[in-house]
Amino acid sequence: MFNYLSLLIALPLIGAIVLLFVPRANDRVVRWVAFITTLVTFAISVALFASFRATADMQFVERVAWIPQLGISYYIGVDGLSILLVVLTTFLMIIAIGGSWNGITERVREYHVLFLLLESAIIGVFVSLDLFLFYVFWEFTLIPMAFLIGIWGHGRRIYAAIKFILFTMLGSTLMLVAILVLVFAQRDASGALSFALTDILKTPVPIALQGILFAAFALAFAIKVPMFPFHTWLPDAHTEAPTAGSVILAAILLKMGTYGYVRFAMPLFPQATEQFTPLIATLSVIGIIYAALVAMVQEDVKKLVAYSSVAHLGFVMLGVFALNQQGVAGGMLQMLNHGISTGALFLIVGFIYERRHTRLITDFGGLSKQMPIFATVFMIVTLSSIGLPGTNGFVGEFLVLVGAYESHLRWYTVIATSGVILSAVYMLWMFQRVMFGELSNPKNQVLKDLNAREIVIMVPLIVMIFVMGLYPKPFIDRMVPAIDKMILISKTKQQVASVPAMPAMPAMPHAEPMTVTPAAEEK
Amino acid sequence: MPDLNTWLLISPELILTVFGLLIIVIDLVGREKSHAVLPWVAILGFILAIATIPYLAQDQTIFAGMYAIDKFAFFFKAIGAIGGILTVLISIDFLRTRTPAKGDFYLLLTFAVLATMMMASSTSLLMIYLSIEFLSYMSYLLAGFLREDKKSNEAAIKYFLYGAVTSALMLYGLSLLYGISGSLNLADLTKQFAASSDLSVKALGIVSFTLLLAGFGFKISAVPFHQWAPDVYEGAPTPVVAFLSVGSKAAGFALLLRVALTAFPTFHAEWIALLSVVAMMTMTLGNLVALQQTNVKRLLAYSSIAQAGYMLIGVIAANVSGASPFMGLNGVLIYLAAYLFTNLGAFVIVVAIENATGAVEIPEYAGLVKRAPLLAALFVVFFLSLAGIPPTVGFIGKFFVFGAALREGFLLLAAVGVINSVISVFYYFSIIRAAFFEEPKDATLIRVPGVMTASVAICAALVLLLAVFPQSLIDLAGMGMGMFGIARP
Amino acid sequence: MPIDFLPILVMIAVVAAFAAIALILSGLTGPRRPTRAKLEPYESGMPPFGSAMRRVSIKYFLTAVLFILFDIEIIFFYPWAVLFRQLGLFGLIEMGIFILILLVGYVYIWRKGGFDWD
Repeated sequence: MFNYLSLLIALPLIGAIVLLFVPRANDRVVRWVAFITTLVTFAISVALFASFRATADMQFVERVAWIPQLGISYYIGVDGLSILLVVLTTFLMIIAIGGSWNGITERVREYHVLFLLLESAIIGVFVSLDLFLFYVFWEFTLIPMAFLIGIWGHGRRIYAAIKFILFTMLGSTLMLVAILVLVFAQRDASGALSFALTDILKTPVPIALQGILFAAFALAFAIKVPMFPFHTWLPDAHTEAPTAGSVILAAILLKMGTYGYVRFAMPLFPQATEQFTPLIATLSVIGIIYAALVAMVQEDVKKLVAYSSVAHLGFVMLGVFALNQQGVAGGMLQMLNHGISTGALFLIVGFIYERRHTRLITDFGGLSKQMPIFATVFMIVTLSSIGLPGTNGFVGEFLVLVGAYESHLRWYTVIATSGVILSAVYMLWMFQRVMFGELSNPKNQVLKDLNAREIVIMVPLIVMIFVMGLYPKPFIDRMVPAIDKMILISKTKQQVASVPAMPAMPAMPHAEPMTVTPAAEEK
Repeated sequence: MPDLNTWLLISPELILTVFGLLIIVIDLVGREKSHAVLPWVAILGFILAIATIPYLAQDQTIFAGMYAIDKFAFFFKAIGAIGGILTVLISIDFLRTRTPAKGDFYLLLTFAVLATMMMASSTSLLMIYLSIEFLSYMSYLLAGFLREDKKSNEAAIKYFLYGAVTSALMLYGLSLLYGISGSLNLADLTKQFAASSDLSVKALGIVSFTLLLAGFGFKISAVPFHQWAPDVYEGAPTPVVAFLSVGSKAAGFALLLRVALTAFPTFHAEWIALLSVVAMMTMTLGNLVALQQTNVKRLLAYSSIAQAGYMLIGVIAANVSGASPFMGLNGVLIYLAAYLFTNLGAFVIVVAIENATGAVEIPEYAGLVKRAPLLAALFVVFFLSLAGIPPTVGFIGKFFVFGAALREGFLLLAAVGVINSVISVFYYFSIIRAAFFEEPKDATLIRVPGVMTASVAICAALVLLLAVFPQSLIDLAGMGMGMFGIARP
Repeated sequence: MPIDFLPILVMIAVVAAFAAIALILSGLTGPRRPTRAKLEPYESGMPPFGSAMRRVSIKYFLTAVLFILFDIEIIFFYPWAVLFRQLGLFGLIEMGIFILILLVGYVYIWRKGGFDWD
């Protein structure tokens, strides 16, 4: 079998190395090399998606011993939880490269090298099945992103970059400690030292340890998501990052956090998940409402979009922690939706920023008269972000709310629903102030509409908005088996009994519910 | 009477002695032009010394038990010699304009490496003292090598004064140990401690270990014996600093490990408690003070103090009887090897920039990426490695050290270590921030000699490659745990 | 055996006693007629001049240190001489190397101007 996944990780890396040998002055060549690299990577990931079977198994698995005496291996594979995120990554990378075609004029080569490194690392995060490998990729996403913000960012870019790096480092080093403790505990229980997720899942984690380990993992992921109250790095990083950086940051990097919960924190620590659910649900709901309220008073369009991210990710977390099929599927879908619509929003903000070099809402008004195509695109994306039926946002949000309402998180859901209304308020209000009204500012009267390149970039995003809004079945179908398996593993025995029977459960190697080990058997 | 075989066993030491003398003879006899060959003679000596190591029979002591020939010692000898090679490579350009006495410099450096090798092999109280003093005197001379430079003089004097005090303390500890056991041999000491149930012997054992720690702590720059480090790092010739931060530190760890593990196993609980306090203080103080530094060399000094703290975690967690791959001891060895390439690499860059522009303050590094793109990019690699961020070999080192601490249940120590490594990101990043995010005041390109570029590239390549393929390093460190007098895995 | 060292102890006692007795006896019995010349410190026959606390050039220090350095190395010749026959050729070569190293040191000092007064 061909190593498709390794190829996916390696291609951007190879592209980055090739770029290093392109003469510095040759910006056009640099852009094309980067663009073609991402395009090929995307093509491969689509091929991967096409041949992906809708089962709960890990597919395209590769496993090579790396540090044998520690049980560390280069162990990668995809299942329904990760395949779509991989495709999303490769998809948005093309958009990001295309989106910075004119905006980035300084140190173009280094910029694209960092982007390709980032792509490699992100794909690595989503396909790693070995905790050590996962950690390595996870940490490695930090550096290119910090540099992208710090070098090509705006305004307080340095502050934002350092804040970004410190916040994420704090969480991730604690996660490293947790990984080690977890692996040692599993070694004591099973006798074999292994960092492979599948091996660790075979033996239940001692209950005494679960709480603290979950907390460490959850903190690292919560900072990345970001959940209230760890979100403060996000508005800074998003606002100061270059457009494409914001797109990738919002659309993909944040998903690493939510993905971390689904892939690692919840299946590994079912009891702790149960204990922590109220806390996480509370924080999610606070995040949804708080971020919406803050977004409402923002004067900077980019900041507003950044806060809307916090609110959207709150929905994802709520859905995921509902731990039923609709909830998790909704959460997963919402990750993709948020990636597409927020990515598009940041691009749109980038378009007007490139033209006007301001992002203040008050500097605009009546743009729709001057830029009709832009207005249409902006409208579609805004509606998608709000979750209007027919767009992708609706499907995800609806599933999340249904799932969470059906679960033990009913009352959280009731409060969270008001966030949906609030999001409509702040988004539409912003849209109205920017696009409608008097075209009073003379600078705005000479604005040019979107050019061909910009339209070409936006079209795929808009197509995806409608495809996923009208026909989400192919995506959901591929996710569901893996989601069912993940739910089964992540639920404690008692809970599983109380959950209504799930539809058409495929054969699962790990279908045995986690048994609660008596404390006496532990270390 | 020692036979030929015994002499062969110390061939690395003999080779360095011969080459040291050779250097001085060339310096004295040869003309000015022939002096260009001196650094390469030194490097040849180091390479030959390393090359003999694999052929030497191991696991024995020679000279009446005073000198151990074991894999542990060889590991440190190799580290010392590699450190020597890289230091020479940095020195060539650095010395060119600064001093006429190049032969003396390479002689002292060769003998300093020789001293680290002797420290690595010492198993007798006398050898321990002599080798430490040998290294100290070479270091004092090297630190004060730039005689016209006031800061260099200050560095040497401060280094000497601190060294004299700690040396006296250590000597007192050594004499107490001799008083207890009546033998200079570490192995006899262990037996004496194990056999005696006398409370006063126990008390004296603890006191003498504490006193010895002064001597070792001075070499590894652990708090509270670290005060010399910032001034010496700032004032001494930068290549010397590079050597002190790596070679001298490694040798100090070699002795600390050997003494703690072979002579004091009976006081395991006590020295662990003592070292834990020292380790936590070292990490925290090093990192917190580093935050406020604006001079790159001083910053690296405090960083080096903090790094010693992380390594001490590995010493504390050293468990030579367990079957886990996380044994602390191998963690320290991996960490030291990682630190060797990382720190030396960083110093090559500091020297290159200092040579070209004279800049040693962080603000002067502004916009470095535009003036020396390669150096700036590789700087990032080294700082990532120092901060322990993957994919660099520094991460592998931290992984093993923290892993051992967690494995052995030193949770507090691991927690302090982890928090400190997050703090360290902040100040390492402050240099990166200047180099990448700020605009240069002077946009001229920095010219770097080929030797420097080559050595920095080699270091960076090793830092990255050993992280991606850590197996050989882990195997070497596993082998390096073979220490005379303790049970081997 | 400690008893083997008894003669040394006796020797030490005898020497100490002799020195003490000689000093005490001459002090008690000798005539005492102090003159100015007699009370002056001995300066190898030179009349003392200036203060004893005045500063001395560092050049003297270098010479003194070099003297001590080589003087001490000479000590190693004694045990070698005592065991010369047992050590045989090996000892001879060893000492040759030892002297060679000393010689390098000597040449070093010479060429570096350690012996130049100015």
